[in-house]
Amino acid sequence: MEETFAIFLASTLRLAMPLMLAASGELVSERSGVLNLSLEGMMLTAAFFGALGSWATGDPYLGVGCAILAALCVAAVQAWLSVNLRANQLVVGIGFNILALGATTLLYRIIFGGLSREEIPGLPKLAVPGLSDLPFAGTAFFQQSVIVYVGLGLIVLIWVMLNHTSFGLAVRAVGDEPRSADKAGIPVAATRWRAVLVTGFMAGVAGAFISIADIHTFTENMTNGAGYLALAAVIFGGWNVGRTIAACLLFGAATALQFQLPAMGINVPTAFLLMLPYLLALLAVAGVVGRLEPPTSLTLPFQRGK
Amino acid sequence: MTALALASSLPDRRRLAGISIPFAAVVGSMAVGLLLIAASGKSVPDAIDAFLDGAFGTAFAFGASVNRAVALSLVGLGFILAFRANLTNVGGEGQIAVGGIAAAALALWPPIAGLPLGLAVIVPLLGGTLAGAFWGGIAGFMKVKFGTNEVISTLLLGFVALLMVYWCVQSTALLRQPQTSSATLPESLPIPDPTKLPGLTGDSESPLHVGLIICLVLAVVTAVVLQRSTFGLRLRAIGLNELAARRAGMPGGVLLVVALAIAGAFGGLAGAIMLQGEQYYLKTGFSSGYGFDGLVVGLLSRGSTVGVLAGALFFGFLRSGGISMEIMAGVPAALTLVIQGLIVIAVAGSVILVDKLERGSR
Repeated sequence: MEETFAIFLASTLRLAMPLMLAASGELVSERSGVLNLSLEGMMLTAAFFGALGSWATGDPYLGVGCAILAALCVAAVQAWLSVNLRANQLVVGIGFNILALGATTLLYRIIFGGLSREEIPGLPKLAVPGLSDLPFAGTAFFQQSVIVYVGLGLIVLIWVMLNHTSFGLAVRAVGDEPRSADKAGIPVAATRWRAVLVTGFMAGVAGAFISIADIHTFTENMTNGAGYLALAAVIFGGWNVGRTIAACLLFGAATALQFQLPAMGINVPTAFLLMLPYLLALLAVAGVVGRLEPPTSLTLPFQRGK
Repeated sequence: MTALALASSLPDRRRLAGISIPFAAVVGSMAVGLLLIAASGKSVPDAIDAFLDGAFGTAFAFGASVNRAVALSLVGLGFILAFRANLTNVGGEGQIAVGGIAAAALALWPPIAGLPLGLAVIVPLLGGTLAGAFWGGIAGFMKVKFGTNEVISTLLLGFVALLMVYWCVQSTALLRQPQTSSATLPESLPIPDPTKLPGLTGDSESPLHVGLIICLVLAVVTAVVLQRSTFGLRLRAIGLNELAARRAGMPGGVLLVVALAIAGAFGGLAGAIMLQGEQYYLKTGFSSGYGFDGLVVGLLSRGSTVGVLAGALFFGFLRSGGISMEIMAGVPAALTLVIQGLIVIAVAGSVILVDKLERGSR
């Protein structure tokens, strides 16, 4: 029982980690008024280029760098289209997801050939001295890949940035009242650009976690909807960092349970567990679990004087 | 006289300029595709041959492409109807899924197959349509009742519906075929022959079915509703200024729910047609991304019914050609996704430019 629980904790964290990274980044952008449906595409692109970089250089850390760079490129184009060209953010997002799936699959076939399962150099696991020996939670929480600790640090950083810095204030201002923000001298376009780049950076780390730290290879469509799940987590989290992280852990736990419950002899349809995150997010936006308000200008482009 | 001719030709020229950008996006993206084929070391002429063959070459290929276009058109038509009321229906994928589930459940229910007068085909089609309408209606209800943004609700409902398909085909208590061995696939039984959509050509080689007729009729109806009916005008009014429309005495809430329910109905019908016309049994991933493609078709059409049909045909042929390219020329079908993604991004990005051109530069 204790062992099952330890495995459950470990797999929850493993499944929640990419969600937490991606969702915390997406949160910043959404608070500024830009919805990146392309989150899935950013993560998939990052996972691919992370794997490619790690494989080509033999250095997993360079791989992480490649992953972040690749996701930032996608984010930059997304920002340019959504902010400067005032394109429909949903369409651009869907376009990127189609493109990312196509491009990574195509490049993978061209570079690695066929359906090879080439192993790539992964990130080392780091045991926190003392804590990693704790009973059952020890291995789950304190014997993780380096990227987990760095990632958790980044999430805290995002929380501080959003709630306690002038940049965070600007982000929230342009997301809710771009017109007033503009009159108050806050550069709307520049703030949104930065916010989308934060999303890109975090999606890059999330993608790198999946391919370099977790699976140690790239497979076609390996993010498999994690980006959409992260979007649902932001919604269920009510556009608030703490609640969003809690939502990611909950979603991770629900996904982990599909392997755990059968082992414990409990029969719950897997489909229901997989559906749970989306159902919860639906209930949340319906206002069943407390009233949640998205940023007022979410998905609305801003144009001065209009 | 010349001045008059000039004046009347002006809007056309602007319109032409507006169309030229999506056209350039398509040509440019195709060129990138060709470059990628060359870069992957495959023969470009072979790939083009395989593409054309797969898209138009045989009666089978042509029929499959058109059938694909029918599903995309239906989702796209529903999309532009709701979009007229300024509602963005992102849930086409889920509406196809619930439509497919309902159609499969009805078609597999023994009494249905025995119905006379084509009812065996019509009842599952209607069931799928109603299921889609219900699914879209939920989003409309949430919007009116709780003020929930329909982009978010339709997206989430979409994922729920996709997992419902998964659930249905995993559980023998629902739609999974009886498990005779461990190798039994998680799929439904094939639907009985009387519930399948009749073919259109009589040629057994061609999968082309009456879905095409249904789609064309609905396209005309949509165009008429949008341009000539009070309902279309009301949708437009509520889309332009909801408050003003309500003040003018229009039932705002009801209109919003109805608009999303209609969009959902089109998606549900597309799902039923896909099931009864081509796939014949329900399986995970049966909606094949057509919901998202259909949304893109709807958006790129800029509200025009003809635009929806043209875009759907283009994407339909693109997908079929891509599959054939993979089989016959060894070029991964993922290439067509690259082309499609580039087109979507380029067209979405050039909207301001198109608007400027159409209005004339100010």
